[in-house]
Amino acid sequence: MTSSPLDRITSHQAVMFITNFIFGAGILTLPRTTTEKIKTPDSWIAIIVSGVIITLVAIIILKLCQRYPNETFYQFNQKLLGKWVGSLLSLTVICYYIALSAYEVRTMAETTRLFLLQGTPTWAIMMPFLWIGLYLVQGGVNAIARLLEIIFPITVLFLLMVMFLGIELFEVDNLRPVLGSGVKPVLKGLTTSSLSFAGFEILLFIYMFMKEKTKVTKVPLLGVGIPFIFYTITVVIVVGTMSVDAVVTQTWPVLTFIRSFEIKGLLFERFDSLILVIWIMQIFSTYVIALFIATLGLNQIFSKNSSAFIYSLMPLIYLVSMIPKNINEVFKMSDVIGNFALYLFFIMPMFLFVISKVKERKYEKM
Amino acid sequence: MRWRRLNKNRMKIEESAKNAKQDKQPFQESINEMTGNLTEDLNLIRQEIGHNSDVKFREFQMGTTGIRIAIIFIDGLADTDVINNHILVDLMWASPKDTGHPLKNSSLKEFIKNQALSVCGLSEARALKDITSGIMFGSIAILVDGLEDVFLAGVSNAKTRNIDEPPTEALVHGPRVGFIENLKDNTALLRRHGKDQNLSIISSQVGERSKKELVIIYMKDIVDPHLLEEVKQRINKIKIDDVHDSSYIEQLIEDNFLSPFPQVQSTERPDRVMGALMEGRVAILLDGSPFALIVPVTFHMLLQSPEDYYERWMAATLIRILRYFSAFIALFVPSLYIAFISFHPGLIPTKLIFSIAATREGVPFPPLIEALIMEVSIEVLREAGLRLPKPIGQSIGIVGGLVIGEAAVQAGIVSPIMVIVVAVTAISSFTLPQYNVGIALRILRFASMLFASMFGLYGVVLFFLLVCSHLVRLKSFGIPYLSPAVSFRLSDWKDFMIRVPLFLMKRRPKLLHPKDSVRKR
Repeated sequence: MTSSPLDRITSHQAVMFITNFIFGAGILTLPRTTTEKIKTPDSWIAIIVSGVIITLVAIIILKLCQRYPNETFYQFNQKLLGKWVGSLLSLTVICYYIALSAYEVRTMAETTRLFLLQGTPTWAIMMPFLWIGLYLVQGGVNAIARLLEIIFPITVLFLLMVMFLGIELFEVDNLRPVLGSGVKPVLKGLTTSSLSFAGFEILLFIYMFMKEKTKVTKVPLLGVGIPFIFYTITVVIVVGTMSVDAVVTQTWPVLTFIRSFEIKGLLFERFDSLILVIWIMQIFSTYVIALFIATLGLNQIFSKNSSAFIYSLMPLIYLVSMIPKNINEVFKMSDVIGNFALYLFFIMPMFLFVISKVKERKYEKM
Repeated sequence: MRWRRLNKNRMKIEESAKNAKQDKQPFQESINEMTGNLTEDLNLIRQEIGHNSDVKFREFQMGTTGIRIAIIFIDGLADTDVINNHILVDLMWASPKDTGHPLKNSSLKEFIKNQALSVCGLSEARALKDITSGIMFGSIAILVDGLEDVFLAGVSNAKTRNIDEPPTEALVHGPRVGFIENLKDNTALLRRHGKDQNLSIISSQVGERSKKELVIIYMKDIVDPHLLEEVKQRINKIKIDDVHDSSYIEQLIEDNFLSPFPQVQSTERPDRVMGALMEGRVAILLDGSPFALIVPVTFHMLLQSPEDYYERWMAATLIRILRYFSAFIALFVPSLYIAFISFHPGLIPTKLIFSIAATREGVPFPPLIEALIMEVSIEVLREAGLRLPKPIGQSIGIVGGLVIGEAAVQAGIVSPIMVIVVAVTAISSFTLPQYNVGIALRILRFASMLFASMFGLYGVVLFFLLVCSHLVRLKSFGIPYLSPAVSFRLSDWKDFMIRVPLFLMKRRPKLLHPKDSVRKR
């Protein structure tokens, strides 16, 4: 576990961190979760609006981080809020990340069981996954960044390609009428669609590791922009192909969409399991980043640099991931985590930003 | 941080080396020194090495002066031409100007050195240890009665083989020159390739007992000094009695001994070494080994051949992509076969799955066992073919490949599809230009087959993540192993999977931090 500031990442790698962390298991259910709330075909508008909002929040986070260029969130929140409140906040954040990584691992196991390995027990699916993540996190921020750079092009290109293979089933009529029932449903769905972007807050923790610290506004812009474009494409294609009614009833609408067409003449005719296998890599990256951030937090709060924390987090994550009894409880868990993220990372950074501004003014007056 | 720690270590080592020198010197001088009395000195040397039958002593008198001279050399190692035509002739015919009084020691020495001996490599030694080791290295020791200094003349001229095309790295295009076992010839080959004065060849010794000469080669104005220090330091740390081949050095200086991937590149081709030096890497040559070592290694180097630069860029790019593709096949095809057949037959087109199922009918084993039987037997065949003389090796290939494969299918032990899979895998692994990469992939292939048999496609993905996690953590001499693939830097990608036309490769790869980054204007 290397958290020494000598381990640097490039801005390109920082973008990869944000993008890969925002992706994750969420995209497989994204068309359903947004459409459920909105109930009109306008979920893509909600995605676009929330994308813009999230970009703004991400830029605020960047500004906040630029005040403390050589510290992570765990360190500078103590300066802003005092030692005890800061530590408490950090611990909450760590708990959030433990829960998040547990959720990602569990979702992975559930989908794998459903689509790929019917008879295999959940623990057997999760164990090797957890261990490989542990091995990677021990390599430090640089190793993770490099792995993300490998995973990102493979997964994203593959998914885009498969999406566009089904383009002939796409019907514009399914997306009409645009804003047929007014703006209200879109506003209702805004929270859910914003939550799909949860993960942009990673900037709070990785800013310290960045090589270049000035003129990096492009990092949050691209980091949120890539998933933003990607989400929009997914929602438009999936809702456009399957219509609102069908999307709402499917547990994994993206996979159902991919299953709905067959391409003759290729080596593979069906792509749903294949895309899931590829997407497991993306889930892996989300899990690894969450694990890394949690370990980093423990290291920095207790100012120790030992791998004991990672090893102790492993069983914890395993236990938390086994709490939900079935897939519905997993989704409930995701709702809880999402609501938590809403308060933690949408409101808290603004709050901290204001505090830091106020503090600065105070010092200027003195 | 690593650098700092290493620097500290280096300073410590240097200090201790200094101390050791100061301690030893007086001790040596007091015991093993030449006395100047020929009989005594000869006895001293005889005692030390005289029992060896290949050490030859020859005594004679110098010209008309009657001064006794003895030469000592090793039969077969020292150059007899030099002994006959220069040392013996020169010294036997030498006649210093008759000044009336006998030559004093100093003037005698000056006379022999400056006027009598017509050999170019001439050094003097006084300590017994230096003299004996000089003789062992192939020099001719010349002892003159009355002189405490002993002349060491000439260099070894042991028999070596001719310079050939390297058998392990044959090319269609490109120079047909390979290194041989003689270090001097090898460095000369490099000098002839690159007449740049910045080509630095620094010599040192390894092997506590055998004292083999090792040279570190680099371009003085390109190489990153940190890298050079690191290489020197790792070589200084080697404390072993003997190194038989440069692969000893490779294993002693590599970063991670648990990794299946080679972290040092060994090559027989001088042009490949020059190419690496020009990129800012460091090469190591060991006397007695035709394999040069190149550090640091990055993964993409292992899938490159010098030919990539000799062919035109389109062909080279295509062949490179083909190599990456075949590396993928060599690593994953058997495991994908296992995964699809035993876990996800529904993913394969229906017609294909029917024909596979038909051919598998009557095969009593699960796909993993079937694959293991074929993979292991092909590895055995490959190993057997390597060890046998060439003509027999070929017939083993025919017997093994054709007869056993055919018979196994006929007997119903394996399915024909499996034979195809294994054959394609084996042939793909032969396209890799480096032997040790092939071995790495062979090891990993078995691991990936096990993963696939346990978890199907999910297992293959897990295995991929595991290998990637390992590769991103691996470093070779401080350089990330996977660069330039990641961390992404567009300027280094032009010589990665694709090779852009030469006129576009204006800069050396940045990942090695070269001092002079301009390659072409």
